[in-house]
Amino acid sequence: MKNQKNEAWVGISDKTNDPDLIAQIDKEFVELPIVDTLSDEAAIETPANRRDFLKYLGFGLGAATMAAGCDAPIRRAIPYVTKPDTIVPGVANYYASSFVDGGDYCAVLVKTREGRPIKIEGNSLSSVTKGGTNTRTQAAVLSLYDTNRVKGCYSQNGEEMTAMNWAEVDKAMGAKLNAGSRILIITNTILSPTAKKALGEFTAAYPNAKVVTYDPISSSAMLEANKECFGDQVVPAYHFDKAKVIVSVGADFLATWISPIEYAADYSKNRRIADYTKAKMSRHIQVESMMSLTGSNADNRILIKPSEQGAAIANLYNEVAALAGGSSISAPAINADAKKGLKAAAKDLVNAGSAGLVVSGSNNVGEQVLINAINNMIGAYGNTLSFSGASLQRQGLDSAIQGAISEMQSGSVDTAIVWGANPAFDLPNADKFAAAFAKVKNKIALAYTIDETSALCDHIIGVHHFLESWGDAEPKRGYYSLIQPTIAPLFETRQAEEILLRWAKSNNLNTNSDQPYYEYVKNSWKGLAGGFASFGSFWDNTLHDGIYEAPKGSSASGFSGNVSGAAAKINKPVNSELEIEFFESLNIGSGKYANNPWLQEVPDPVTRCTWGNQLTVPTHWNGSNDYETFRGIGSRNAKSHGDYVNMGIKGREEKVSAVPQFGMMRGTLGMGIGYGREVVGECGAGIGTNVYPWLSIDANGNTQYYATNVEVSQIVGREKELACVQYHHTMGLTGSKTGSDEVINVDEEILAFQGSLTDRSIIRTSNLDELNKTVPALVKERGHHQYLNDQTLYPFDEYSEKLYSQGHHWGMHVDLNACTGCAACTVACMAENNVPVVGKTEVHRHHEMSWLRIDRYFYGDANNPNTVYQPMMCQHCDNAPCENVCPVAATNHSSEGLNQMTYNRCIGTRYCANNCPYKVRRFNWLDYTTADLFPGNQPHINDEKIPFGADNLTRMVLNPDVTVRSRGVIEKCSFCVQRIQEGKLTAKAERRNLADNDVRTACQTACPTQAIIFGDVNNPNSEVSKRIASDMTYQVIEEVNIQPSVNYSMKVNNRSELIDA
Amino acid sequence: MIYKSLKLCVLFLFFSLIQISTVSAEADLASGKALFKAKCASCHNKDMRSDLTGPALGGVEERWEGRDEVLAAWIRNSQAVIASGDKYANELYVKWNKSQMTAFPELSDADIESLLGYIDGKWKGTYDTPKKEEGAAGGTTEKKNNLPLYGLIAFVLAALAIVLARIISNLNHMIAVKGGASDAVRPGLFESIGGKSFVSFLLFGLVIWGGYTTVNNAIGLGRQQGYAPEQPIKFSHATHAGAQKIDCQYCHDGARRSKHSVIPAANTCMNCHKAVKNGSQYGTAEISKIYASVGYDPTSDTYIENYDQMPQDSIKRVYQEWFKSQYLKEKSLEKLDRVGEDLVETQWSDIVTSLTGPQKKKIGGPIEWVRIHNLPDHVYFNHAQHVTVGKVNCENCHGKVEEMEVVGQYSPLSMGWCINCHRETEVQFQDNEYYNSFKIYHDEIKKGDRTKVTVEEIGGLECQKCHY
Repeated sequence: MKNQKNEAWVGISDKTNDPDLIAQIDKEFVELPIVDTLSDEAAIETPANRRDFLKYLGFGLGAATMAAGCDAPIRRAIPYVTKPDTIVPGVANYYASSFVDGGDYCAVLVKTREGRPIKIEGNSLSSVTKGGTNTRTQAAVLSLYDTNRVKGCYSQNGEEMTAMNWAEVDKAMGAKLNAGSRILIITNTILSPTAKKALGEFTAAYPNAKVVTYDPISSSAMLEANKECFGDQVVPAYHFDKAKVIVSVGADFLATWISPIEYAADYSKNRRIADYTKAKMSRHIQVESMMSLTGSNADNRILIKPSEQGAAIANLYNEVAALAGGSSISAPAINADAKKGLKAAAKDLVNAGSAGLVVSGSNNVGEQVLINAINNMIGAYGNTLSFSGASLQRQGLDSAIQGAISEMQSGSVDTAIVWGANPAFDLPNADKFAAAFAKVKNKIALAYTIDETSALCDHIIGVHHFLESWGDAEPKRGYYSLIQPTIAPLFETRQAEEILLRWAKSNNLNTNSDQPYYEYVKNSWKGLAGGFASFGSFWDNTLHDGIYEAPKGSSASGFSGNVSGAAAKINKPVNSELEIEFFESLNIGSGKYANNPWLQEVPDPVTRCTWGNQLTVPTHWNGSNDYETFRGIGSRNAKSHGDYVNMGIKGREEKVSAVPQFGMMRGTLGMGIGYGREVVGECGAGIGTNVYPWLSIDANGNTQYYATNVEVSQIVGREKELACVQYHHTMGLTGSKTGSDEVINVDEEILAFQGSLTDRSIIRTSNLDELNKTVPALVKERGHHQYLNDQTLYPFDEYSEKLYSQGHHWGMHVDLNACTGCAACTVACMAENNVPVVGKTEVHRHHEMSWLRIDRYFYGDANNPNTVYQPMMCQHCDNAPCENVCPVAATNHSSEGLNQMTYNRCIGTRYCANNCPYKVRRFNWLDYTTADLFPGNQPHINDEKIPFGADNLTRMVLNPDVTVRSRGVIEKCSFCVQRIQEGKLTAKAERRNLADNDVRTACQTACPTQAIIFGDVNNPNSEVSKRIASDMTYQVIEEVNIQPSVNYSMKVNNRSELIDA
Repeated sequence: MIYKSLKLCVLFLFFSLIQISTVSAEADLASGKALFKAKCASCHNKDMRSDLTGPALGGVEERWEGRDEVLAAWIRNSQAVIASGDKYANELYVKWNKSQMTAFPELSDADIESLLGYIDGKWKGTYDTPKKEEGAAGGTTEKKNNLPLYGLIAFVLAALAIVLARIISNLNHMIAVKGGASDAVRPGLFESIGGKSFVSFLLFGLVIWGGYTTVNNAIGLGRQQGYAPEQPIKFSHATHAGAQKIDCQYCHDGARRSKHSVIPAANTCMNCHKAVKNGSQYGTAEISKIYASVGYDPTSDTYIENYDQMPQDSIKRVYQEWFKSQYLKEKSLEKLDRVGEDLVETQWSDIVTSLTGPQKKKIGGPIEWVRIHNLPDHVYFNHAQHVTVGKVNCENCHGKVEEMEVVGQYSPLSMGWCINCHRETEVQFQDNEYYNSFKIYHDEIKKGDRTKVTVEEIGGLECQKCHY
């Protein structure tokens, strides 16, 4: 049972055939916990009676009569006074820009309609992000329309906020900022060379001013280590595409670590398999304590406790040194399994030589020096990582902000300007910061939303969102990227850099200009780039492309780290019963994105929980037929209840919601950072638990993202509304029979024999070594399915020949080996298709609306499983079960193979959803889009004053080409039919054949690894046709002859038995 | 006596029913069609004009030179005719590569007659539509006569109902009398039919009728064919598109490249109206509204700087000055007379009412036209698809705009109207490389089996062409 290769599972409940789960799977629409609701709200106790019914009937008739009797409202058509040349109403414009938030970077194209940004796509010209995006980039367009934005300038006295105009602000600051005054400008990493220039001018004007840069999720130790070892305080450039063996010690480089979009794109290049007979792929070994997104993509995971990380690195160093002929260092003892695993990993690394790569998310200088030393020993520098084109995405030093706190504490700081940072929330000692900050005489926040820090300031100065700004970025040395505004400022805000330059009374800022900072950036670029004939054309081209790349070399010297000194500095294992690892959550980040409901509602890829950070606790196979979880938490959680426990660290005790998680080290817990924001706006306030106070600071002043000596109580209560989607819309899985090891379908035992539904082909996995066996077996099995399908009485061939064989036939291919589960596609889909946000309560009730979900399955070793992510959307079956059961033909098939959903015809019987084997149809139970007449039908997602989406500001993000669905209709993935129609029209108007690039779905463009490919299957030269032709392709549940149009390719891992042993 | 009348009624009803059923008893060309479909259509083209596996059957009787018996024999068993040495039959056999025609010995003479009749009718076009089929079937034009027939049935049924009601009430009365109720009164006609069941039947009928009417009227809700609202500016398409022959797409420049045809911005108007300051119909009154919208001073021929900050009094002065000067020029006067003063005042107040509204306080800024063509939000319509790709003329949907003084909605813009056009309209198939992917249609056109491809045939009736 320990290693069942054929078994895939989601969680404990399906592994153990939990009757609750089986009952739930049996129903398409899960019984709602009405009893719970009723006991909460006495008001609902009185059931509606006949008189009520008659009343409503009468009202309805009356309302309908009145509505019919009224005149249709007069609608206006308002043209421009002077139409801008570039805008054609109804046609989207794309502008190249850059998503920059602290050190997070992505080169983007912003889609605007009639002058308002509605969608962000990746810019494929960038060699950094290569056209990929992540969830945060995709969701950034919604933060532009955040109702919590600072709408101007305010002076703040306690709770009271007084609006000021810009003249008053400039005057007030002129009086407060003196040449001699001590000024601290507190920021996160600044990627913009021009902003740095502006800061330089400010510090020149105020010689006593100092810029304090820190990062809430810090790479401080790595910067210090690289300074020590190479004399260059940067993050090196990593080339995962060149790495054959990757050992990551706690670096979540596919999800959050430094530049995940870039790394994921590079990483996936060595993970794809085009031809299984000549298959090669990298080996990825993750050394970690909890299951991270990156760890879940790894071939092997070596489990350690968080405090053992330093010891693991030291042991790895010694093992590599032993093989590569280096001298060993003193390494603390580590658990035996990990020691064996590290030995095997070291062997792989040394064999790979310069094609090996070791990365670590550790924030301990000693550990990072050892990592550098290992990379140096195997000769990785210059190949898999280098200092030319080094990353500038993390520049903050933890010691800098700690120094600033001490300085403020002493009362010697006159003015503190907090620009885009939130140190009153995202520091381990945020309370200490707040106390010290209070002693500063003049506190100014340059912020675009109100947060914990700006709430403490005397002046809150509204600044532009990046989509309203001019600017630039240099994410890697010599890789420049421009930011250009895509909408006129929505509020009375200014560009932050411009404000600083005005206060510095800069001569280089032309304040009479319409856009002073635009000219400033332009002038700055004259000095920044060279080698052009005319600056005008260079600027225009760069602005068009959005990027300018002139990679720079490095002045870094050879490795000169003090290895034995470093060994002394590493964190030593602690003999503590319970330890906890804190990780940056994929969506919310350091907490910056907490008020973005798209990001709150996208499930965490690993825990599959939304709207909050859960404490993850380990689950282990008990050796027989059951699974034990820590403190018995969530052992039966099919019905989406969480268990509350009290967790105490360093004397701070909080009640937290906990869920079990496979693949965790015993005695280790995990929890996401960034939740528990208090001052953040209506949507994100009070969601989850703030873990920052539990972080600690090590001897070098660096923040440590783990804690030891954790005390956790027994279960103290039940979280009734845990919004965990892992058992929502489940398709039925293979599990093992109670009392034996026999692999069966989980609902087979209860529901009796399901015919061909047993042995469902949902997930196909293989080890790299076994491809020569597994792929031919797959081909054979598919052949058998094809044979069975051919026995149908349904005249499918007739349709095939007459209808589907000409024109277009749309299809999709998802490479499960390239998919990292990052969920960028899910957010892209929400943005593109106006998918509503429903809020925690509704997600708990299985009512999430996302058209594209990413199913996460574990397989293999129950205690240390491998993971496969499967993006699941409407499969557009050519023999669709949903179509046959619709009583009003609201869902039917197009000649292009699309399973069409016609909202205005749908009467909401939900038969289609009931009949869909993939569970991809979503019903609008409530008026999520607030399009209805009756406010009572509109859900409030987090106790806002008005429902989310009812606000006109928020509604600006809606895609005007996609219908906003109202209550009572089914919706589902349309293959982005609006894009299909647009692409076809472009080709038709240009009188040419449709090209592959004309139609790209939102999920496809969002994907950083190009795992999703969409196109015309009737065109044999299309990318999708070529991919489908691969022998590794399969279709989910194809044996029931529903002819899906979405294809998947087998998930392959390169798991090493030696590391497991 | 009661029973007698009942018998009469039933008899009457019976006969009228028989009469209905005999109306459509005769059939000959229709059965010919059925036979053709069953026996011939797999090899012979149903248009009777082009060849398929077998030759086109149009004019077959002429080709057999009226030798109807031989033709009938050929149809029943062609091989026998060939064996008999018939010249034409052998020629035909060789011409069609000696492919044998299936034998149909079961066909009667009448069958063959009706089959040939159908073929001939189809070929000559006299058997074209189902309507003609009914006409050709020699029956009566029963459709027109339906109403009296239904009336008759209704009358008979009503009579029956009354009779039955009378019977029941009479029987009840008899029981009551036999039971010894001396005061029993024989119920009158109205009492006997005023029972619960009758009322509920009536109600049922009313509900059906009401529902039918409601649905029929509800379909029309929100449709506004003929809607021709008054616009803030009395812009005359008759003048611009008609008399001046300005191309539609000069102003509606979105039609060729966007989903919206686009109402032109005021600066498009200014391209001409910088020069044309006096309209043929309304003089300065309407054109000045454009000036007031964009902030153009026609007196000095300049755009007014910082117009959006200009107080209304100053704006008023600019345009009243302009009205005055034009009036004086037109009338060759030195000083405004009473009529002139009134005119200047009304023209100004007209500008104010036209360019401002509850939402818009300022005179300057965009002109808020009243939108005429309103599609529901769940309908996607793209002008470029129809204008650029489909080469549909503007007037197909918008009517003769060049003759409209006030523009109104010409077409119903109902789904049925859209669908109908998609059924009939031919795709611009030949000279657009995009349609190369429709290989089967191209092959059929090449072979001559197909002359055109309609929008419907490339999926133009599918839901998600317009709803997504």
